[in-house]
Amino acid sequence: MTELAAECDVLVIGAGAAGLSAAYEAAADGNRVVVIDANARPGGQYHRRGVKDPPYFPAGTTDAQRWANIATYMGWQAYAADLDGDLVVVRLRGDERHRNDLHAVSTRVLVVATGAVDRQLAIPGWQRPGVMAGGGAQSLIKGSGVLPGRRTLVTGTGPFLLAVTAAIVQAGGEVAAVIEANQPRRLIRHAAQLMPTGLMKSGEALKFAAILARHRIPYLTGHRVTEIHGAEDDAAVASAVVHRVDEQWRPIEGSARTFEVDCVTLGFGFTAQLDLLMQLDCEAVQSADGGLAVCVDDNQMTSVPRVLAAGETTGVGGVDLAAVEGRIAGIQACHLLRTDGQRTQPDSKVMTGLYRRRGHLRRFAKALALSFPTPTAWVAEQTGDTMVCRCEEVSLTTVLEARDDLGATDARAIKLLTRAGMGWCQGRMCSYTVEGLCPGPTSVASQKAAANRPIGVPIPLGAVAKQGRA
Amino acid sequence: MCAEVGRVTMPSGQNYDAIVIGAGVVGACCAHYLAEAGLCVGVVDRGSVAAGTTGAGEGNILVSDKEPGAELDLALLSQRLWTELIDVIGSACELEAKGGIAVGYDPSTFEHLQQFAAKQRDSGVIATEVTGGDLLALEPHLNPEVAGAIYYPQDMQTQPMLAAAHLIARGVRVGRITLHTNTDVVGIRQGDGGAVTGVETARETLWAPIVVNAAGTWGGQIAAMAGVEVPILPRRGFILVTEPLPTTVHRKVYSAQYVANVASDEASLQTAAVVEGTESGTILIGASRERVGFDRTRDWSIVSTLAAQALQLFPVLEKVALMRTYGGFRPYCPDHMPVIGPDARVPGLLHACGHEGAGVGLAAATGHVIAQSVMGQTTSIDLQPFAAERFGALHV
Amino acid sequence: MSDPLCTVVIDGRPVQVSPGMSVAAAMMSTGLRAWRTTRHGQAPRGLFCGIGACFDCLVMLNGEPNVRACLVTVEPGDAITTQGGATND
Repeated sequence: MTELAAECDVLVIGAGAAGLSAAYEAAADGNRVVVIDANARPGGQYHRRGVKDPPYFPAGTTDAQRWANIATYMGWQAYAADLDGDLVVVRLRGDERHRNDLHAVSTRVLVVATGAVDRQLAIPGWQRPGVMAGGGAQSLIKGSGVLPGRRTLVTGTGPFLLAVTAAIVQAGGEVAAVIEANQPRRLIRHAAQLMPTGLMKSGEALKFAAILARHRIPYLTGHRVTEIHGAEDDAAVASAVVHRVDEQWRPIEGSARTFEVDCVTLGFGFTAQLDLLMQLDCEAVQSADGGLAVCVDDNQMTSVPRVLAAGETTGVGGVDLAAVEGRIAGIQACHLLRTDGQRTQPDSKVMTGLYRRRGHLRRFAKALALSFPTPTAWVAEQTGDTMVCRCEEVSLTTVLEARDDLGATDARAIKLLTRAGMGWCQGRMCSYTVEGLCPGPTSVASQKAAANRPIGVPIPLGAVAKQGRA
Repeated sequence: MCAEVGRVTMPSGQNYDAIVIGAGVVGACCAHYLAEAGLCVGVVDRGSVAAGTTGAGEGNILVSDKEPGAELDLALLSQRLWTELIDVIGSACELEAKGGIAVGYDPSTFEHLQQFAAKQRDSGVIATEVTGGDLLALEPHLNPEVAGAIYYPQDMQTQPMLAAAHLIARGVRVGRITLHTNTDVVGIRQGDGGAVTGVETARETLWAPIVVNAAGTWGGQIAAMAGVEVPILPRRGFILVTEPLPTTVHRKVYSAQYVANVASDEASLQTAAVVEGTESGTILIGASRERVGFDRTRDWSIVSTLAAQALQLFPVLEKVALMRTYGGFRPYCPDHMPVIGPDARVPGLLHACGHEGAGVGLAAATGHVIAQSVMGQTTSIDLQPFAAERFGALHV
Repeated sequence: MSDPLCTVVIDGRPVQVSPGMSVAAAMMSTGLRAWRTTRHGQAPRGLFCGIGACFDCLVMLNGEPNVRACLVTVEPGDAITTQGGATND
């Protein structure tokens, strides 16, 4: 693997819109910047094919100019971050082919732009081959040019369903229908908040509407997938049952429809990937979408000195918002380094413009979140065999038994008693479901506990043993 | 609330024959045995079941790591009682009578182990010396270069959170136990002569003439509410958890240094290898012990050391992935003995805490003798070495 | 894609795939949707989240088990093997 720096001025984790924007700003000021990302190519989830001309590099700059002073280590994954006096030490593991390579980088400023992953809820049959996250289907198409299936049902909630649909049909695939659990009237309730950004995005909306019309793809709102079935001798997806649902997503009897499909995509908004920020004990809040977001001030500073966050980690809001936050974070990083960590407000017209644009985009994101909520009470009421934890194969019945008969009153207790969340993915796929099954409203403390994973990616014992001993 | 005849009804709150503070494995065993004795028991915990140290435990039920004395006697009794509890809560707690192996790398360490085992045998511990091919037959992937080991067939493993939860749930089902989770204890009510009359929570008073302090690492705080000192300190430990694997480690395996560490007075770090498999396929690696207060900050040098020590025992784990680490605070008394039994200073108050890394293993016997004490029976084990008053007769 | 194809071996079968594809995509392009089975239920799993978070897509790559197929780009000559049961088999 490439020779890695042991120290730098600014370490950016995540090479998506937020990370690259931050990296560019920091590097333009002459700082030594390192960017790491688990993927093979930069660009994050949005620019899966690599970065050609994203809106966050200044127009007219060349590749060489953009990447000067930025060292990128693609494939490397940060598994731990710890404070060490005035520095932050971030521990990295090599890519999937180089898992034995461990490395630590000491940085003066850390920018965490680790993005988000599709949020999931457990539905009977969701563990079948051919069921995948909307983002998974999209990354398959954008990154590798492969279709997720021959005939796909795109389901869940939120405008992202349309992006997934567009990706599939533009790649020559077939979408049987788009199944949106929420009702369009919710959008109307938040219409005021959706402007003026909504107007700017209306072109995109029209494009999606045209795609649906041209390919005659039904867009069913107020509907949800309730069961996913295989074939007699094949566990992979063969069909999906869809019901009309009420505002709490409970199925309305007698409304079942079956779609013959070999692929079902699921996506109920997004969960920010906050592992490193929670390891560092950053303060967090609940976002409008019910998920956890790290708290940042006007300059993207978290509650921990020298640690900034940008993009989905501060609240899911899409690529444009990520780019703006990344720029602000990058500028703030420069400021921290120039003034030896003194937190003073950068005073410039550029900042005012960035703050305003961020404000618009955040308002828009919040309105979208409120228009496409994800209720969870229906999860416990499902009657089919439902696998809550995919990794450990823990059923809904087992989780409910822990809750109702064994005195588990929070997600941690459910985890200890059922193993839900203790498998390979450490709860990334099932924690929203488990939290939704706990009595009472979800607490930030509980969400923080679930998001605090001491080891962000599995590391080989031999490699760990070779590092510093006590 | 359970139906009882002929009891005094207090003006407000709920009435019990006994209240157990702490819904961890020790509290659960106390509640279980008290309920079996016919009492109506309230169990109170500021969190959920197994929310404290039990939730960070490996589930060790060991006789192998104790030198002859009161604690070993308690451990032997407890081991027998645990096998009986299988009939009560079934396989739900994943109890495995897998046995333990104490490994001596070099001949002199092995010799120390043999001497230690000889003394233990006099107390009733079954210990067999194993070397060479016989050792590898017991534990195929063990480093073949070790000098020898002692095999302790009585050592067992359980899933402590499930054990605690199921013991309490059973008591609830038969109408003997009432569980109050997410309920902070804010005071101990006392009447004439300081005798216990109940427990004060944030919401209400729970009345009982008997209160059992099974609050583990926080047992000192509960004792203070009754005006007595029980010096329990936290001794931090970390456990490493690997990816799930096909069965690779068959017994609980640990290096000889583990025994010395448990008895050590050192506040600074003591690490020695403890490696065991679980039903879920993950391998648990320990063990570190430090007195650093309630600091949960992770220390990577400890993780590296534990990993290296585990690899010394099982070189085959070289490429196996570490998925997570977790820490917990073992309740630790200055003289390494738990506090078990009636507190002579406060009538009606009993303690069942301070088990320092042996809480799971000793829980069954602890619950058993607590129930015996409450019912006025002669306890199976002399509780004098575990008496709370050994820390001072005066009130706080 | 106009790049020349490269050859990888999937369970002993040579297959032509586009360079730049992930190993997961390479397998799916041959019609394979599951390439490992779970520990308890022996249930088939393949790609789910597609971005390295769910660990469902684990496959053996060049003799190394439990590789997240969605995160690795194919290289010519890669030997990809499906996994069974307790993930290390």
